[in-house]
Amino acid sequence: MTKNQDESSPRKVIIVPCSGIGKTYGSVSREAALELVEDLRLGQAQLVPLSLLVMGDEDSRSAIINNPTVTIDGCKLACAKKMVQESGGTVAQDYAVLDVYRRYKQFKPQGIAELNQGGLELAHALAEEVAQVVDELLGDENG
Amino acid sequence: MPEYLETTVDKFTFQVATDRLYNAEGLWFKEEGERVRLGLSDFLQQHSGDIAFADLQPVGTELIPGDLLGNIETIKVDMELASPISGKISEINPAMEDAPEIINQDPYGAGWIFTIEPSQWEAERSGLLDPQAYFIQMKAEAKQEATNL
Repeated sequence: MTKNQDESSPRKVIIVPCSGIGKTYGSVSREAALELVEDLRLGQAQLVPLSLLVMGDEDSRSAIINNPTVTIDGCKLACAKKMVQESGGTVAQDYAVLDVYRRYKQFKPQGIAELNQGGLELAHALAEEVAQVVDELLGDENG
Repeated sequence: MPEYLETTVDKFTFQVATDRLYNAEGLWFKEEGERVRLGLSDFLQQHSGDIAFADLQPVGTELIPGDLLGNIETIKVDMELASPISGKISEINPAMEDAPEIINQDPYGAGWIFTIEPSQWEAERSGLLDPQAYFIQMKAEAKQEATNL
């Protein structure tokens, strides 16, 4: 039992995106994560900022230990995936934005503070993919 | 296995293979019988970032110095590769189609890009840099980059 999860609260899928500021692919990861938790799977997915895990925040650590977790990394350093693992969590599915971009070459991401249209569309495509994973993970648990 | 010249600048280590020639832009050229194998130097691939796509001119393309070899798209930049030598593209690394990141993983080995049948090799190779000369240039570039950070 964790501080932020009682017996009546359904499990959620935790999303941990890249924290790289000033990087286009990091921005795509965060945009996708936001769309997922605030729109596509509102109430079923919860965002945990990588920075809180790095700082050792207990609620964030409990969240990734007690719920299935999906990481979205902006580059091959895979900081989100590594930090979840080092914090005691299990990565149910990991994404790298570059790999996703290779599947959607038509959506070329550019910009940092403000993504271009290609970046927004790539983020949307990524969010849709992760949404399917959220459904599968929660479906596995419910049924 | 090639031997390497190596330098560390800031937190990055760069290698220069000693068994080939280079141009100032960071392409390497390794003579192999009648052909020359070509790829990106370790510094160039690290400096450019993770490679997303390699759109390359097809096998059979005739080249003169300055002609476009292809475009490499990375997470940071779009690079146009220009050939410094004359000849014909004779082979493209099949990995470039689906896994161009192999350039990042093994720039001097499995990450080669083309082989070229050179037509003016003896004359044009003199315009390329030997490993020591490229190493000196690369170190200066790397240090300048670190200073600018």
